[in-house]
Amino acid sequence: MKDAGSSDLALFGTPARRIRLAVALVALLLLPFVASPFLLDLANQVLLAVIGALALMLLTGFAGLISLGTAGLLGAGAYTVGVLVREAAAAFWVTLPAAALLGAILGLVFGLPSLRLRGLYLAISTLGLHFVVVYLGGEYEAREALSTGVMIDPPSIGRFSLTSDIGWYFVLLAFAALALLISVNLKRSRTGRAWRALRERDVVAEALGIDVHRFKLLAFVVSATMTSVAGALFAYYRNFVSIDAFSLYLTVQYVAMIIIGGMGSIPGALLGAAFVMLFPYAIEAAAGFLPSRFGNVVFALDYAAFGVVMILFLLLEPAGLMGIWHRIRAAFAARRATSAPKSAPGSASGSAPGSAP
Amino acid sequence: MIELAVEHLSLHFGGLAVLNDVSLHVEQGELLALIGPNGAGKTSVLNCISGIYRGDGAIRLRGQDISGRAPHEIARLGIARTFQHGELFAQMTVLENLLAGRHALIATTIWSEMFFLPAVRREELRHRDAAEKLLSFVGLSRHRHTLVGALPFGLQKLVGFARALALEPKLLLLDEPSAGLNRSEREELARFILRIKDELGLAMIWIEHDMQMVADLADRLHVLDYGRTLGVGSAAEVLSNPAVIAAYIGTQRSPDG
Repeated sequence: MKDAGSSDLALFGTPARRIRLAVALVALLLLPFVASPFLLDLANQVLLAVIGALALMLLTGFAGLISLGTAGLLGAGAYTVGVLVREAAAAFWVTLPAAALLGAILGLVFGLPSLRLRGLYLAISTLGLHFVVVYLGGEYEAREALSTGVMIDPPSIGRFSLTSDIGWYFVLLAFAALALLISVNLKRSRTGRAWRALRERDVVAEALGIDVHRFKLLAFVVSATMTSVAGALFAYYRNFVSIDAFSLYLTVQYVAMIIIGGMGSIPGALLGAAFVMLFPYAIEAAAGFLPSRFGNVVFALDYAAFGVVMILFLLLEPAGLMGIWHRIRAAFAARRATSAPKSAPGSASGSAPGSAP
Repeated sequence: MIELAVEHLSLHFGGLAVLNDVSLHVEQGELLALIGPNGAGKTSVLNCISGIYRGDGAIRLRGQDISGRAPHEIARLGIARTFQHGELFAQMTVLENLLAGRHALIATTIWSEMFFLPAVRREELRHRDAAEKLLSFVGLSRHRHTLVGALPFGLQKLVGFARALALEPKLLLLDEPSAGLNRSEREELARFILRIKDELGLAMIWIEHDMQMVADLADRLHVLDYGRTLGVGSAAEVLSNPAVIAAYIGTQRSPDG
């Protein structure tokens, strides 16, 4: 029994998993050296999105708490950096913990309605967070007469400052890996089980000894902290903060990431983040094949196609990309299982196993 | 020794009296059957004990009044329960359901969980061992990694039992565990309830409609009707009580009526 237990707890137990991890790691480490500057910037954006998507997956995918506060929290983190750098010339080792702290406080405050509200009503209440942050950010920009936002110097230690996209790639990769590690570990321990239990049946969870209020608030705090730190990193990466960047459309994109990736799945958050960030470029490339008189509608096309994809996933594949992946894998496994014994006797009736659509 | 005593419990929803001055107790190692027609208030009694409903009156666990406490606090004090419709976490595995049931016993902090520190690993292994013991007790070991939603109904019921037992309770509340089970599953359930009583020595309050099972297994019966106590005693006493018969079968009309 002891052995079964420990192998359950091993993250990379099987050799196949270890090989897959090693291949992924090598690919991730080599990527910046072969990628064009354009692709590298894209990779960095995906890594930033991964942190926010994981944070939202913890809250919505695990704990079942709906939030429309992602853009507001990203903005709060970014503005923490902007204001502290501009007013106090603070270094990143001050601004990042400050952003994390502010995120935690905002998570606690805007998690409070979740103790009373659920579903759509909760979603609306978290919108308040969005508008408070956007309003305060806009006020700050107006008061300081910053028409183009707050400029931010790159983070630096001594004489080294982080300016190159390759350097940023490795920093963001480390942060995304940390977010991934935290998400995986929370999912497989007491806190993650409590979140998933209260998502499924909160009254039952409570009767089993789970302090539902506490774990709802904890989900908001952890998620908001991660999101706010992602926002702070975003501000440093872009070298400036502007309130225009934190629209409601950004929130919709993050919600789309976890829906398209697959609700409740950590790999789904990664896939969803990559999908949503790369989607506009795919549409742009596809639009290149259109006659040139359609050139000015590419932007509208992007929005429309995004909406269509969201609706298609919600209607046809609620389990998201991970659901599709599991089905493909199951189909291959079934094919192998049925074809292997059939080929051995060499029967004349060796028809192909009925392939499911 | 009295494990739990409910004293003068009343419960109202608006103008509707659900429970009216109900008093009952259950002793260590005793199986108390709570019976009565539909709508008699049986589940409401369990919900008051586990803190989901808040009634008037005292609920004493080993002498200590626990009424008014939150359900999760009451669970921590050693009162576990099953639910009428299973109410399992369908998208979690059998093992995860049991570990969720042990939530109150697992002592890890979120900080150490984030990095799965050695202390977390040790604690997880310890509780997985305990959950595995319970799985073999209910005979579900080979389903440990199956999603509960994918199990047949009869096995889901067992998971519900195991999840309640995972808390290592002193008192177990069973809300109509035989509902939806066929004859042979009921027999298995009966054996299982006796094993819990004999091997684990728990006090149990058991809501049941199957009078044959109740008569065979229960140490004592408590009958409710319209939120009032109709009778208490052994199966023979209670089932021959005219008031109980009237509640179940209806009163006999006088010929001249």
